[in-house]
Amino acid sequence: MSRGVLDEESFRLCCRLLLQRSEQLRDGWSWKAVQGSEEGYLRKTALRSVVIDPSPARDQEGSGSDSEPRTSCQSCPDQQGREKEESALVASVDTDRVSGAIDDDEDDEDDGVCTVSGGSSQVLQYEYHILHSCSYAAPVLYFRAFTQEGRSLTLEEVWSSVHPSFRLRLQSSPLNTISLQEHPLLGQPFFMLHPCRTEEFMRPVLQAQDQHRPVNYVLSWLSVVGPVVGLDVPLKYSTSPGSSTEPH
Amino acid sequence: MASDTSEAASSPPDLKLQFAPFSSALEAGFWHQLTQKKLNDYRLDESPKSIKGYYYNGDPLGLPTRLTLEFSAFEVDGPTPAHCCPATGTLYNTNTLDAFKTTDKKALLEKEAKEIWDSIQSGAALKDPSILCKFILLTFADLKKYHFYYWFCFPALCFPEGIKIIQQPSALEQVFSAKQITALQEAYDVLCIKRGTTAEPYFLMKYTADTVQMAPLEDWDTFITDTKKVTVGVYDPCTLSQHPGWPLRNLLVLLASQWGSKLDTVEVLCFRDRTLQGSRSIQHGVIFQIKLPELPLNSACPKSVGWEKNPKGAMGPRMVNLSECMDPKRLAESSVDLNLKLMRWRLVPSLDLDKVVSTKCLLLGAGTLGCNVARTLMGWGVRHITFVDNAKISYSNPVRQPLYEFEDCLGGGKFKATAAVDRLTKIFPGVNAEGHNMSIPMPGHPVNFSEATLSQAQTDVEQLEKLISEHDVVFLLMDTRESRWLPTVIAASKRKLVVNAALGFDTFVVMRHGLKTAPVSRGVSAAADSSTSCSSASSSSSTPAGPAPSVPASSLFSNIPGHKLGCYFCNDVVAPGDSTRDRTLDQQCTVSRPGLAMIAGALAVEMMVSILQHSEGGYAVASSSDDRMNEPPTSLGLVPHQIRGFLSRFDNVLPASMAFDKCTACSPIVLDNYEREGFNFLSNVFNSSHSFLEDLTGLTLLHQETQAAEIWDLSDDESI
Repeated sequence: MSRGVLDEESFRLCCRLLLQRSEQLRDGWSWKAVQGSEEGYLRKTALRSVVIDPSPARDQEGSGSDSEPRTSCQSCPDQQGREKEESALVASVDTDRVSGAIDDDEDDEDDGVCTVSGGSSQVLQYEYHILHSCSYAAPVLYFRAFTQEGRSLTLEEVWSSVHPSFRLRLQSSPLNTISLQEHPLLGQPFFMLHPCRTEEFMRPVLQAQDQHRPVNYVLSWLSVVGPVVGLDVPLKYSTSPGSSTEPH
Repeated sequence: MASDTSEAASSPPDLKLQFAPFSSALEAGFWHQLTQKKLNDYRLDESPKSIKGYYYNGDPLGLPTRLTLEFSAFEVDGPTPAHCCPATGTLYNTNTLDAFKTTDKKALLEKEAKEIWDSIQSGAALKDPSILCKFILLTFADLKKYHFYYWFCFPALCFPEGIKIIQQPSALEQVFSAKQITALQEAYDVLCIKRGTTAEPYFLMKYTADTVQMAPLEDWDTFITDTKKVTVGVYDPCTLSQHPGWPLRNLLVLLASQWGSKLDTVEVLCFRDRTLQGSRSIQHGVIFQIKLPELPLNSACPKSVGWEKNPKGAMGPRMVNLSECMDPKRLAESSVDLNLKLMRWRLVPSLDLDKVVSTKCLLLGAGTLGCNVARTLMGWGVRHITFVDNAKISYSNPVRQPLYEFEDCLGGGKFKATAAVDRLTKIFPGVNAEGHNMSIPMPGHPVNFSEATLSQAQTDVEQLEKLISEHDVVFLLMDTRESRWLPTVIAASKRKLVVNAALGFDTFVVMRHGLKTAPVSRGVSAAADSSTSCSSASSSSSTPAGPAPSVPASSLFSNIPGHKLGCYFCNDVVAPGDSTRDRTLDQQCTVSRPGLAMIAGALAVEMMVSILQHSEGGYAVASSSDDRMNEPPTSLGLVPHQIRGFLSRFDNVLPASMAFDKCTACSPIVLDNYEREGFNFLSNVFNSSHSFLEDLTGLTLLHQETQAAEIWDLSDDESI
């Protein structure tokens, strides 16, 4: 393990320990097993409320230095979510044609419903999966983001919801390469942070580990790559008194 | 969301309780799974299916009250995410949009409401209160366009007169002491453990100043001893401070119908349980008191509501277009683009991909070179590729020409130009490929046998002129020298970038043709030529000019600007003619080492891409082998004039050479004749022997002079 790689068995052990801790912290991770096999993955979903600029001239992806972010985003939104949002991310719904609406003369008044203002902020759902890659002997982060209707966002759209300071880091950082990949277990398109540099940045972490406070490979790795795509790893994972994080 | 406004409105004394409706939330995986189910299980079966969703009471403030359906919604018996409450639903997936529209929504709602009402009457809902929280999902999946139409309904039974609030909603922490809150949390956790769940949708509650007791609904009779004030708890997904969420609605109907007449005041705890950064809190829950209206048992099913409004706030369905993430063709396109963008994000930040991707490429020849060039262009994301070839695929082709297969050779063989297009489209449906099965007239290959052949040649010329006009880059990838003459002339005249690749047995040349300056300056004089030179100080103007401006000898091999570079024919001292005559088979066909075409084809495309990255494009000064150590002119490196490769030595050199003023293809006099006389001039070239072009350009004279010089040399030799 000190070589910076992680075999599948250790991966599952690390996941189990992470899960235990997540359960205590109610951090929302769960293990999804693939039917009839040992294989599986860690899964977590998160919500983010996003306020979108009414003029989302989709800029040239990439270069990053060119313009201010057009989307502001918070993972723990407070009241700001009320600002008017424009439907850039909402699939252009042309359901007028499809009315089929209810011809409800008597139904129209439901005074038991509180009026929630229609222009609420756009809620994005993020889904994160941690899988093991045999060929890289490393954990791999898969993720996708989608609207409340279930429409997956393009990378440009995800990009605009990544915090600007991370956006720069994502471009310059040697750790991360995002690519569009089919989820190896689900067969659905996901974004993936490519693990080609994982071994490189994990090696020093593992070499520096203290005999008495061993490192949970998956947890340490996640704390490095997670924030880049908006996935927070609470500090409490590492300040845990109760559970040991040593997989051996 | 809107909590401020609702708070402000909560002052009137005779206020009715209002509930925050569910807002449907679908995960991307749900639609993928629905698609699979529709294709593999349901097919045309429209009968209602059981599905499952869940809701959560731990959201941060400001998020809408959601009922979420994920990938696993179709596994009704599967686990519910920890600390979430399940909601069972009925899926009505119609086969047509019309059926979706005409489905009687009111009837669906009433049917579901009746079931809830019946379960309240029978007491079944007491035993399993999750029955109270149901939903209907009406869908139509257009799997051709990947458009999904859907409409959710969260049935709720209504009290005709509404529900009167006796005590305004307050935050739990304002009503309960810290001690009570701790006790409440413990009691809830104990109840969950007892019930073997991680979330309880509804519960009964009793409390004192420092203790809290909880029991499931079904224990009503034993647990509730005093009906003056009864406290019920509801797992509440709402985050508004003044309103409970939807799940409370049917519970109140149940309470009213079971015990309505006995109950004086009902206290409701909206139990909200949130964990942020590992810290759990429940003190932001909401507590209030109400008076339940009478709702006699055995009465008819009350009025029901519940269809969700669409984003416009209207009673109508929603539609989501998932073609971008579900249509395989769209997926292929975005994956290809993303891969290329990575090159830019990670390695070559200044790479201008759009310039490459949007370039329209004309490939003259769809053989070994054409196939390899096309594949490399596809790798670069080039979408617009046009083939011209007149041959059919023969049995020897597929092993060397990667766009063809054995099957393509059967029955006389398919035409290469069209077969190549078919294969490109199979490889990448997003490509915009076109094939033209046509011949390119050649010098020394007469076309004047008949009216028909002559007019055919004219049509071919016109077609080729049109194609060259419509494209940005012309690739010369034919197997004979003379077939390159006509496109060289036309492209030179139209100022189109030409990339030429030609193979020997183990040698190749890949080159760009010089790109003539704009027509206005050409023909005026050679002097004008240098003044319009668009390359800066590095161009030939900085070198000592020779006496004749057209031959600045000192810049023969370095710093030649793009407009002075030669073409494929510039280095030749004979005009192209019929090279297939009087030759053995191995001379007629290109016999080359098999790897050569792949190397040369790939280099031809890479050269084009490098040229496109140069700010001056085809006018860029030619890089030479000597520039290998210098600062490269583009983000991708050098922009040579020629790459000559020698496979025997595994070596490439980068020569550059000037345009030749007596060139049989790109010299001013040839272009002039072509532009003035058009097809008449061309047909003369096709029909005549070498000497026509050689006479025209002055090559004949040059030959005579050279021979004279050689005689001199010979006589020198003899003298020794």
